[in-house]
Amino acid sequence: MIAQKYISRIIVGSLIAVGSAAAFNQQDSLTNSPRQSVLKSQAVEYLYPEQVSVAAGKPTPVTLHFRIQQNLHINSHTPRAEYLIPTVFSIPDSSGVKLANATYPAGTDFTLPADPDQKLSVYTGDFTIQAKLVSNPGNHLVEAKLRYQACDQTQCLPPKTITVPIDVIGK
Amino acid sequence: MKRNTIVIGVTLLILATFAWAGWANWMYRKQAAEHALASASHAELIPSAPGDVPSGGASLTGKPAPDFTLEDLSGNKVSLSSYKGKPLLINFWATWCGPCKIETPWLVELQNEYGPKGLQIIGISTEGDDLKAGDKEGWAHDKAAIAKFVKQEHMQYPVLINGDSLATAYGGLDAMPTSVYVDKEGKVVAMQLGISSKDDMEAHIRKAMGEGQ
Repeated sequence: MIAQKYISRIIVGSLIAVGSAAAFNQQDSLTNSPRQSVLKSQAVEYLYPEQVSVAAGKPTPVTLHFRIQQNLHINSHTPRAEYLIPTVFSIPDSSGVKLANATYPAGTDFTLPADPDQKLSVYTGDFTIQAKLVSNPGNHLVEAKLRYQACDQTQCLPPKTITVPIDVIGK
Repeated sequence: MKRNTIVIGVTLLILATFAWAGWANWMYRKQAAEHALASASHAELIPSAPGDVPSGGASLTGKPAPDFTLEDLSGNKVSLSSYKGKPLLINFWATWCGPCKIETPWLVELQNEYGPKGLQIIGISTEGDDLKAGDKEGWAHDKAAIAKFVKQEHMQYPVLINGDSLATAYGGLDAMPTSVYVDKEGKVVAMQLGISSKDDMEAHIRKAMGEGQ
C-alpha cells in the first residue's frame, strides 16, 4: 500500500515535469520566432548566446550572433570613408569580464543607386563577431554594447548603441 | 505484484517521454544554431525599396512650415521667420549620412542656379545624438565635424545646428536626409524623405517658386 502511494507520487511528479518541459519548449519556439514589433524599431538584434562558460583568466573565443533588419545595412567595422560610423563591439569596465580582442567579418561591397561609383563596406542579414573574453571567476551578467549606424538605399537612421546581454560563467 | 509491474512500466514510459522531450529540445536548438551560422557565412545583399526606414512622422505638406530659431556654426541665431516671403528648401542632414553626402553637391548647384531667382536653401545638421545644452565637449565635437563637412562640400548656403530639437515639429526626422520645400507664403508644398534625384529636387523647387504647377 505504501509502495503504491510512493509510486503514485512519482507518476504525478513526472507528469508535472513533462508538462513543464512542454511549456518550456513552447516558450522557446515563441522567442525564436521573428520579432516583428522589435525589428520595426531596432535595426540590429542580438540573437545568441545568452550564456557562456569560459575558463577563468584565460582568453576564450565566443561567437556572437546578430541579425540586421531586412532591407537595411550597417557599416562594417572598417567602412571605406572616414565620415561613416563603424560597427564596434565593446564591454564596459567593471563587468568582471574583459574583451581581449574582437574579430569582425569582412564587409560586403554595396552601392547606393544614387551613386553607383562609390562602393561601401557593409553588413546585411545575419553576421557574427568573435569576441575573445577573459573572465574573472564567478557568474557575471555582462551588458556588452554594439554601436552601429544603419541605412537603407535612400536614407539613414541615427547611430545607435544596443545592449548585448551575456551571462558569462568563469570556471 | 502485477499492479506494481504496470505502475513501474507506466513510470518508465513517462520518464522515457521526458528524456525524449529533452533530446528534441536539444536538437531544435542545435539546428537553429546551425541555420544561423549558415546564414552568416552566406551573407547576401537584399535589394531594398525606397522608404524602408520607418518614416515615423506625418507629412507637413499643405501646412505652414513650423517656425524655429537655431544657431549657425558661429553661434548666430537664425529664425525661419527671417526668410519670410522667400521660397525655401530646408534640408535636414547629418555628417554620418551617406545619401546626404551624395545630394549635397546637388544642393550647392541648385542654390547657385535658383538663388538669383529668390530660392534660399537652409541646411540643418541633425546628428541624432540628442546632446544636452551643457554638453560642451559633445557640441564641440559635433561642430567640428559639421564645419569639416561644410568646408569639404563647399556649402555656400546657411547651415544651422541642432536639428534634433525640431524633430517633433517636423514630423519625427527619424531618418536623414529629409527635405522640406516651402513656398513664398510659408506653406510646405512637398516633403521628401531620403534621397531621390537632382531632377526631383529641382521639380520640387520649381513648385515652391510657383513655377511649373
